[in-house]
Amino acid sequence: MKPISPRPISIVIAAMGGEGGGVLTDWLVQAATTEGFAVQSTSIPGVAQRTGATTYYVEIYPVPLAQLGGQRPVLALAPSVGDVDLVVATELMEAARTVARGYSDPARTRLIASTHRVYAVAEKTAMGDGRADSEKLMRVIEAGAKTRLLFDMEAVAKAAGCVINSVLLGAIAGSGVLPMSPEVFEAGIRAAGKSVDSNLRGFQAGLAAARGDVPAVTQPSFKRAQPETPAALALVARAHGELPEPARAAAEEGVRRLARYQDSRYSQLYLERLAPIAAAERDAGGDGSLTRAVARHLAVRMSFEDVIRVAQLKTDPARLNRIRAEIGAAPGQPVVVKDFLKPGIEEICGLLPGVLARPILAVSRRKGWTETAYWGREVSSSGILGFSALWLMARLRGWRRFSHRFHDEQRSIEIWLDAVTKAIALSPLLGLEVAECARLVKGYGETWRRGEASFRAIHDGLITPALSGSWPVGFAVDAIANARAAALADPEGDRLAKTLAAVQEKAAA
Amino acid sequence: MAERSFHHEIQSLRLGAGETFRGEGILAVTKALLQSGVSYVGGYQGAPVSHLMDVLVDAEDLLSELGIHIEACTNEAAAAAMLGASIAYPIRGAVTWKSVVGTNVASDALSNLASPGVIGGAMIIIGEDYGDGASVIQERSHAFAMKSSIWLLDPRPHLPAIVHMVEKGFELSEASHSPVMLDLRIKACHVTGEFETKDNRAAAFSRNAPLGKPAAFDYAKLSHPPSTFAHEIAKVTERMPAAQAFIREHKLNEWFAGDLADIGIVVQGGLYNSLMRALMRLDLADALGNTRIPIYCLNVTYPLVPEEVTAFCASKRAVLMVEEGTPDYIEQALGQILRKADLQTKLFGKDCLPQAGEYTSDVMVEGLAAFVEQAVPQGFDAGPARKIADALKHHRQTAAALLDAELPGRQPGFCTGCPERPVFSALKLAQKDVGPTHVSADIGCHSFGTLPPFSMGNSILGFGMSLASAAAVGPNLGRRPISVMGDGGFWHNGSITGVAGTLFNRGDGILVIMQNGYTSATGQQFMPSTIAEGRRAETPMNIEATLKVMGVKWLKTVRSYSVGTMKGVIKDAMTTTEKGLKVIIADGECQLARQRRVKSEDAAKVKAGERVIRVRYGVDDEVCSGDHSCIRLSGCPSLTIKPNPDPLRDDPVAAVINSCVGCGLCGEVAHAAVLCPSFWRAEVVQNPSRFDLWLDGWRNRLRGWLQAEAVS
Repeated sequence: MKPISPRPISIVIAAMGGEGGGVLTDWLVQAATTEGFAVQSTSIPGVAQRTGATTYYVEIYPVPLAQLGGQRPVLALAPSVGDVDLVVATELMEAARTVARGYSDPARTRLIASTHRVYAVAEKTAMGDGRADSEKLMRVIEAGAKTRLLFDMEAVAKAAGCVINSVLLGAIAGSGVLPMSPEVFEAGIRAAGKSVDSNLRGFQAGLAAARGDVPAVTQPSFKRAQPETPAALALVARAHGELPEPARAAAEEGVRRLARYQDSRYSQLYLERLAPIAAAERDAGGDGSLTRAVARHLAVRMSFEDVIRVAQLKTDPARLNRIRAEIGAAPGQPVVVKDFLKPGIEEICGLLPGVLARPILAVSRRKGWTETAYWGREVSSSGILGFSALWLMARLRGWRRFSHRFHDEQRSIEIWLDAVTKAIALSPLLGLEVAECARLVKGYGETWRRGEASFRAIHDGLITPALSGSWPVGFAVDAIANARAAALADPEGDRLAKTLAAVQEKAAA
Repeated sequence: MAERSFHHEIQSLRLGAGETFRGEGILAVTKALLQSGVSYVGGYQGAPVSHLMDVLVDAEDLLSELGIHIEACTNEAAAAAMLGASIAYPIRGAVTWKSVVGTNVASDALSNLASPGVIGGAMIIIGEDYGDGASVIQERSHAFAMKSSIWLLDPRPHLPAIVHMVEKGFELSEASHSPVMLDLRIKACHVTGEFETKDNRAAAFSRNAPLGKPAAFDYAKLSHPPSTFAHEIAKVTERMPAAQAFIREHKLNEWFAGDLADIGIVVQGGLYNSLMRALMRLDLADALGNTRIPIYCLNVTYPLVPEEVTAFCASKRAVLMVEEGTPDYIEQALGQILRKADLQTKLFGKDCLPQAGEYTSDVMVEGLAAFVEQAVPQGFDAGPARKIADALKHHRQTAAALLDAELPGRQPGFCTGCPERPVFSALKLAQKDVGPTHVSADIGCHSFGTLPPFSMGNSILGFGMSLASAAAVGPNLGRRPISVMGDGGFWHNGSITGVAGTLFNRGDGILVIMQNGYTSATGQQFMPSTIAEGRRAETPMNIEATLKVMGVKWLKTVRSYSVGTMKGVIKDAMTTTEKGLKVIIADGECQLARQRRVKSEDAAKVKAGERVIRVRYGVDDEVCSGDHSCIRLSGCPSLTIKPNPDPLRDDPVAAVINSCVGCGLCGEVAHAAVLCPSFWRAEVVQNPSRFDLWLDGWRNRLRGWLQAEAVS
């Protein structure tokens, strides 16, 4: 006996809890049953939680049962390596994961997936940027499947007012892989009788995409530049004239940002600080990318996050509109916004002049109060009292120059800039690494303290010896880059301590 | 009232003779029970068999028509003990639970049931939680069948085969006076298919037709000496031979012929489909079940029928035993049967196939290739099979090499708005202040606290066992351990093994009870302290009152979302000089259950024009600095990241997406952990009153004036 009967068509659906993968599977089973094919599905939903990856598996035998002469196909309950006709994924990383697990066959498999990302916990909890590289994921998908249909189905679903599963169903129906016509699927949606209109809209969009009418990728820019202000205009022109081309856009944004943050005199200081960096880079034969990096970090560091800045941002006229849009409030619907503010001793002392702040902070730090004493408030920032209070706080902008925090920050900025300038003289590459260390210092309260401490550790432990010229440049560059990555690896600072120790040991050897 | 509505399923339970049932495996079993004339059913929920109970609990009308008594048991031991009704009475009953853990809990009752044996058919439907997607220890239920002389049915994962084995299983149980277990693997529970139904059968004796008088006293039915000695002898001299005869006569095991007649495969029924797929991939079978290698399919894996085994093996030079899990009980038994029959058939098994782990078709392709290479069937070239197996291995390696690093995993976690997440945030924060301690974890939704971002828990010893498993930790650690237990676990056994045990032994430690009102992880079934409206509302038991009566002195109930308060209470419990058990009840209703209720209520109110406030949380993306401490302390699925809108920064910022249910944890955490001022809470007033509109108008005007002032 030589087996000759056709193979079952196999479909893997990689979904996450709550995305309607089960309903999608039911639609497929229903359509196949209607058309008289043997069909079987399995899943491992197991527990009720909504976040885990859930895989559904469907097999359809492409010869109608009526033509099998009483025989019945034996269908599998799980996909096999290299043996899947259709890979369907509700999200990009799950598509890549399915391919990397070997289910798809580059010679046979059709892959249908949405290109949007739903981030995994590990990607979200990273202290810096822990996101998987979407281009890499895309390359995996490209290499692992014969044909692909990829577009942002979440956006399409949102536009159609449906769940992503009906868009996927349309794309599956139009793929030509299954022996059922799109009309059968449509009838199935109607027969199920739930959210029929929106599901049909999603289905049609998916079907059109499968037939070549892939929705255009409209990637709206998510960056919000500072608005042009008269105070910054002249300085913006100056930045444009003085700085190398690659650094201009960042520097112009920095000028506008600092004029709004403080005043045009502060923007001027920014350009004055930037000029020697640009000159040093030019002398070292750099292309301006180093100046661009410094322009970005310097503007961020100079607009450090104090109580006044928070009040400025919270009372910004555009803010309430953004919130209204985000929560989908209808025009005319009242929206009440509350903010969770909890300034501590450091924040409050930051507003005082140094003579007052320094002794208080010294005592507080000795007694450990900086980490325990806070003034917790839920401010109703859309209300009359709350808004007025924040507005008054924002008006303290002029006072900022006399505050302890301002002086403290300027000193740290100078230390950093000085290190960058000296590093450029040794090597522009080293200069860039030192410049990038500014990324560590950010945020509020504990986050800020941790970042500051990491920067100081790297500065004292690595940058200072590197600048003294006692280390080979390549070694110093690697050491600083590794330490920066280590500082962002865990909030407890364990990895950074280990990395610094390892570098010191290596340098001594 | 479980998570799903089973209206559709209940309709299919009513199908009559000659109709077609379509649906999942576990529901097919449910229907098969009704067709078998059971008088009672019971069980304890647990994936993958929860649906069996959920559907029946919802199908009250149908059950009362048939006179079937149903119990939602408080644990598996209670469910197993229910089968005691079939010891003395000619009534059929079925119970269900997840195995191997549930079988462990039930094993005392099972031993005492199996010893006297039954006169009414007794069946245990076990959801075998093994392999890909399993959530429990990887052990075999097979051991329980062997040690207690319970017959183990392992049908092919094909609805007609499963239904047939349920019906035959009751007959087998009665014919051999032994309970039977029906073993269903996870995927078989969820597999969809169809079968031709029969009419439901009302039992001869049931709630609707009571027996009326009790059984006569019979000491021989008690598992007491000397009856137990007689039972042991009966098991081997009467019951097992009767079972083997029944299996043989009714052809419960299947025999599939093939042209390579000098070799053969013996397979557990549940693995048949995967085996067929592996054979198909090796060109040794087709999709319609025609195989080249003869197959002996064991739909009953215990006891084996030696006559059938020897008949299958007699003319073969080699057979392969395909048996999943460890130890290889069946393979050992086959070896013994062959030896005793003095057959020279070479036996292959876990030398070709892996010692442990799920036998997927991929695993079997490799094992089968190794088998045909070594068994050398006459007139067969094993070369092509080896080539196919090697190509598959190569394909898997090539695919894996497409990634330069592992992709981050996507384990299940706490749902959006889960009331248990904030407790772990508070535990994390409290330990930061008073130092780390031993955390004794348990089974339930809260075991997700062991996953990132919390990564908390030093041991898991079983359902409801967290406090008991910390008994010897505290004295040896020198710090108070913290045990986390769900309300489900509390009623399952934690109140006795943990609380009573600790009080009795004057233990000093902390117990945190997650009171969310349901056994949530398995689909929000009711349990003794459920207070939601529904079937069991008349008897809500109270955990706090129970603990007081038991003698717990240090007892605090804290709203689980109040992270700051919870943190303070945990710190108190850690540092107080008072000795003894300290119990913190973290009170917060399961958010999935709550949302289901609240959503429809709110929608109705909005429709009726009533004032409804919708709450959502969010993050000011300009204020957020992209450190993600908030995510590390919360892990909420609706708290995610998005690209940084700041042209000068790259690190993604935190963002709250639409799935937010407004539980408030992010604000609480930001507050309790002193994170950053980025979080806001927005209340949208739907159907605002005139006062709302008036106030809103004034607020708008004031903000407008001040903002204009700021610009000028």
